[in-house]
Amino acid sequence: MKKEIELLAPAGSFESLHAAIQAGANAVYFGVEQLNMRAKSINSFALSDLAQIKKLCSKHSIKTYITLNTVMYEHDMQILKTILKEVKKQKIDAVIAADFAVMEYCKQLKIPVQISTQANVSNIESVKFFASFSDAVVLARELTLKQVKQITNEISRKKIKGVSGNLMRIEIFVHGALCMAISGKCYLSLHTQNSSANRGACNQNCRHAYKVIDQETNEELMIDNEYIMSPKDLCTIDILDKIIDSGVVILKIEGRGKGPEYVYTVTKIYKEALKAIEENNYTKEKIEQWKIALEKVYNRGFWEGYYLGRKLGEWTENPGSAATEKKVYVGKGKKYFSKAKIGEFVIETGTIKMGDSLMITSPDFGIHTQNIERLVVNGVDATVAVKGDSITIPIERKITSRDKLYKIVEA
Amino acid sequence: MPNIIHYRDKCIGCGICYEMMPMVWRMSKKDGKATLLKSELKKKTYVLQIDDSLVEDSKKVAEACPVKIIKVNK
Repeated sequence: MKKEIELLAPAGSFESLHAAIQAGANAVYFGVEQLNMRAKSINSFALSDLAQIKKLCSKHSIKTYITLNTVMYEHDMQILKTILKEVKKQKIDAVIAADFAVMEYCKQLKIPVQISTQANVSNIESVKFFASFSDAVVLARELTLKQVKQITNEISRKKIKGVSGNLMRIEIFVHGALCMAISGKCYLSLHTQNSSANRGACNQNCRHAYKVIDQETNEELMIDNEYIMSPKDLCTIDILDKIIDSGVVILKIEGRGKGPEYVYTVTKIYKEALKAIEENNYTKEKIEQWKIALEKVYNRGFWEGYYLGRKLGEWTENPGSAATEKKVYVGKGKKYFSKAKIGEFVIETGTIKMGDSLMITSPDFGIHTQNIERLVVNGVDATVAVKGDSITIPIERKITSRDKLYKIVEA
Repeated sequence: MPNIIHYRDKCIGCGICYEMMPMVWRMSKKDGKATLLKSELKKKTYVLQIDDSLVEDSKKVAEACPVKIIKVNK
């Protein structure tokens, strides 16, 4: 029987949700209100957005998973119930949970559950334990593929079934940021800034550069990389065949805090790679091309994580992204002339010129990229536009004042 | 008179304000966010006038809030 692989993309905003759909994701995950691991993110969804998210995903036959995976306090129980009631009403496909209260309520309401990586499940007995509450488990990100395979083999051999009566499904992360700590066990941000990663408010202390000083002698130790706690990002594009071979069925892309261009690029490339594997056409040349394309969007440098058994993390050498391209905000949408297929934008900062590569992000369609081949500035054909100018360009997508205009430049 | 301003929308419900000053803060059972007791709603923010004696502790609370949505004006 052919194994259906589900590519699961992050959706931290309507822009990213559309981008995931555009790129061919099979499923998306997202959080609402404050009980998710990106609670601090500016673009979090509200409970009232659930209906629209579901409607949009149903239209494209995409599964919807909602994250409710923070540490839960007593005072969260009511809002948790309120959210779950709406989850049930909107027929969201599953809840991603780490706290037993969430699992218990979901069981009562007959809502499918997936166990979050926050629960860092690392062995078959834990999978068996969680099987009475869930249908899928996101394994700890620190396992090797050999360990993952042992777990998936045992599920088949012991016929470990979830709540739905089907065999438990195993999910792993395939791309995106990694933590220096085991999933769900980092307290750096809490201790230094009282900002708990496990309540979705990680301040990313691990991404800073540090000095190591011997307090007895006050001597600074020589270290070859000041980013002593910041791992490079996970990228499995060149071992994706091995990943599939490990028996996992859901491949998760990290990045609810990232922009729609990131979601689009990464999802699209992994989708292509999955197709190539399916068609026995997964070649070195393609992998090289995919890697170059992945390097264009946000990344801290890549490694394949712990999957091949590497013991030590590879540390990033950058304070931020090592992406080879970046988006620079230049302005926002104003009006769309449907008949002529012309979009009007207002330049709020910087300049754009003929030939520039543009990107438009939109809560209505995700992302759109194109080069400027014709430019009208303040009603006159021109080659350059500056701050304050109103420009019109031919564009197939219907833009609105909610859309943002960027130019893509080399980083 | 000094006041506390609470931008409640962005509260993540960590509960530190309530832990530190239960006389001023409560955790809402309805939506799990912090509520500034007896405050007045002004343009999406909650404002509570406080006595001078509460300023110092309130500032500590504002400092402790992980999402920095509490301000204290003297």
